Amino acid sequence: MIGFCTVQSNVFAQYAMDTLKNYSLVEFVVTGTRTERSVSSLPSPVQVITAESIQKSGVSRLNEIIQEQTGLITVPFFNGGEGVQLQGLDAAYVMILIDGQPLVGRNAGTIDLSRITVNNIERIEIIKGASSSLYGSEALAGVVNIITKKLATDGDWKLNFNYRLATFNTNDANASVRYGKNKVAFELFGNYFSSQGYDLGGNSIFQTVEPFYNYTLQPKLKVQLSEQTDLVANSRYYFQNQENRTIINSIGYEGESIIEEWNNSIFINQKINDQFKIVYDLYATNYKTDEYLNDASENLFEENFYNQWFFRPEIRAHWRKGLNVLTTGIGMNYETMERTYFTERARLNSEYVFAQYEWFLQEKWNVLAGFRYDNHHQYQSQFSPKLGLNYKYSSNLSIKASVGYGYKAPDLRQLYFDFTNSTFGYSVAGYNVAQNRLAILESQGQILFSNNLDFSTPLKPESSINTNLGAFYQKNKWSADINFFYNRISNLIDTRAIAQRTNGQSVFSYFNLDQIFTYGAELNATYRINKDLSLSGGYQYLIAKDETTIEQIEKGELFARNLSTLASFRLVPNDYFGLFNRSKHITNLKINYNLTKYNTNINARLFYRSKYGVFDTNSNNILDDYDLFVKGYFLLNLSATKEFKHGFALQLGALNLLNHKDIDNIPNLPGRQLFGRVQYNF
Amino acid sequence: MLKFDFLKLVLFVVVIAAFVACSEDKKDEVTPTLEVKTFTNLYAPQTGGRGEPIGGTFVKFSFAKGDIVSDNSWDIAFRGTTILINGGAAIGINDEPQRTGNGAITIVTGTFEEVKEVPDASLFKQDAANTYAVPTGSGTGWYNYNPVINLLTPIAGRVFVVKTHDGKYAKFEILSYYKNAPANPDTTDESIFRYYTFRYVYQPKGTTF
Repeated sequence: MIGFCTVQSNVFAQYAMDTLKNYSLVEFVVTGTRTERSVSSLPSPVQVITAESIQKSGVSRLNEIIQEQTGLITVPFFNGGEGVQLQGLDAAYVMILIDGQPLVGRNAGTIDLSRITVNNIERIEIIKGASSSLYGSEALAGVVNIITKKLATDGDWKLNFNYRLATFNTNDANASVRYGKNKVAFELFGNYFSSQGYDLGGNSIFQTVEPFYNYTLQPKLKVQLSEQTDLVANSRYYFQNQENRTIINSIGYEGESIIEEWNNSIFINQKINDQFKIVYDLYATNYKTDEYLNDASENLFEENFYNQWFFRPEIRAHWRKGLNVLTTGIGMNYETMERTYFTERARLNSEYVFAQYEWFLQEKWNVLAGFRYDNHHQYQSQFSPKLGLNYKYSSNLSIKASVGYGYKAPDLRQLYFDFTNSTFGYSVAGYNVAQNRLAILESQGQILFSNNLDFSTPLKPESSINTNLGAFYQKNKWSADINFFYNRISNLIDTRAIAQRTNGQSVFSYFNLDQIFTYGAELNATYRINKDLSLSGGYQYLIAKDETTIEQIEKGELFARNLSTLASFRLVPNDYFGLFNRSKHITNLKINYNLTKYNTNINARLFYRSKYGVFDTNSNNILDDYDLFVKGYFLLNLSATKEFKHGFALQLGALNLLNHKDIDNIPNLPGRQLFGRVQYNF
Repeated sequence: MLKFDFLKLVLFVVVIAAFVACSEDKKDEVTPTLEVKTFTNLYAPQTGGRGEPIGGTFVKFSFAKGDIVSDNSWDIAFRGTTILINGGAAIGINDEPQRTGNGAITIVTGTFEEVKEVPDASLFKQDAANTYAVPTGSGTGWYNYNPVINLLTPIAGRVFVVKTHDGKYAKFEILSYYKNAPANPDTTDESIFRYYTFRYVYQPKGTTF
């Protein structure tokens, strides 16, 4: 077991002690290249979370395990959902895959990680840095790939049941059955998760997170069609029902919020010969939400829906010669979306081709070079190259460097949203429908004046250049890696007023406006003291800023107010803190201890996050030293697992044991949560 | 030689500058020192809004009198977030007061104290058909609006220089839009909305502050 995995298992730790010299402890990942590669030989930074570490941590949902990793911050958005910030880049720029297939359903730009149960996961691979050369749009900051359990044809029935009960009446029940013999293997996995939610205070009508229940069903089938060909069919169904409450003008409303999601994929792996393999990959997914609110007399007050379809056929070919692999692929995306405030069904189509060469020059050098070209119909087509280099200095140390291009296509909301706020009377129109909306408003005499902005060229994707430089070290009881990163994003999409309505309100649309950059360093280290005790730590230093803001401050154009006199004063460059929700320092320390005599494992994780800003409290549109900040804080998670005979295990633990809360600023931190879990493996 | 000439030139400039500075000093002795005044809680209600047509009487202010006026001696007028200038022509909105003067306004980026001179005449704007001299909307005129917390804040570092209806000058900075100018207004309490607090300097003669 090498390096990145932070919660070490006793089994692997033992190997590390006893057999380090002659046993190859190479950890493989597939997300970085779409071929199996060892973590140490890969030119770009990657982080792996194993099933074992997930199991030991005792958490239930993906957001909970993600936020325990170095450099990954989960950022809350309304309704209690959470997305992941990676290398200081927003959750909107992180692609989330299950078994290599992208999840859709970014109603507000971000995929809610709590949608995904961590049970039935083999491992999670996190690629840091732009990966559009393989994955296209959205893989601007990186990729999180959730790899579910593999099927086996060993003729054994495998049953797993576990049930976890936690604070807030949170129930997490899991069952899976797996069997395979000869040419057929299958698995059925089911998860039921419910919680009464929690309330950090504020009002009596609604809670911070409303009660909900959800379930996930995942059947999987593998059939060996011939000696050369096998077929894998994966399916996932997710359903959630959450209570929906709100207050508008001091009146309470109640309803429901329903999410329904389907993911279906079929792979056919065709092995032509030892050198040549073809993968036929067909994927379809649908993400749907329905929300409504009724008034006190049960009359419908408001209704919202969202319905997104995504189809993707793709063919990949891998030519292998020695260690060198040429991977090529061709495919197309077809996406449709209907939602409230879209006048009609919006469509996005594109075709793409990609190629990648993994070239092992000598024993010490390997090169990864690739590109992808996406031919988009609704916005600018994109060419995304990537180049990586890995130098094996010695058997203990390798040096990695990579540079890549990443982009995120304007989403359908930025192109087709067509919305007028009934309370305040402002309008938001997507870039592709803005001129039409203006013409309609104009003909109704509702436009006072137009800012005459130019819509002639299509809205550009947000794009980034990402550079990583790092090293990977492993020797005896130590393993460590360090990575320096720099990301620069251009053409950030933001809203701007395009016209003034006669009611005094504005009409907004989306434009390519800003440029931001993030840079920093990430360090991970693990030290195995003996076969039962290991320590690991992680640290990330981060600077994330907006270039336009820096320029404005340098020109002396930005001000703040003295809170007692309310007089304005000019800001100096040092006053600029950077982007919202970014901490300069994030650290973690993890201890894994096996009481072998008692078949018990104790796992403690301590996290620290330095101060960060959530709101522009002095309303000058930037985060400066005169704003109010969220103070740095510690979180402690603890769990103990005891294994009994006949496949039974018992787990007890606590998340946020120190009971840290910040009601105003951290809505996704509900305070101390205790849990207990029973598990049965057959 | 060149160096010598340069030194002479510097000396010349310094002497002239000293003279100029002295003469300014003298002028200041003649002009009474201008007073920074703060006007608190100018209540500027409006009717309608939130999608409905906006109306209601504009509250008119005179810098010379330092108070709200009801006659034609007004320089600027407030209603909700809208600010009018007594100069130019009607914009074409409801209940607009008639322009009787030749006022104009310009926005300077800086602190209140830094604005010492009246900017170039070409920078001044008047109201006109479909054109606000003080642009409306968040981020474009005098305020930023945060729809998430329903907070309206005067943009820091925006100073307004006004040519009054009768051709004098004044500068002002809006400090708050909420009653009694609290540092953290309770944005759920609508009864405190639309109370302007601003500080200003009125210059009855001359173009410096």
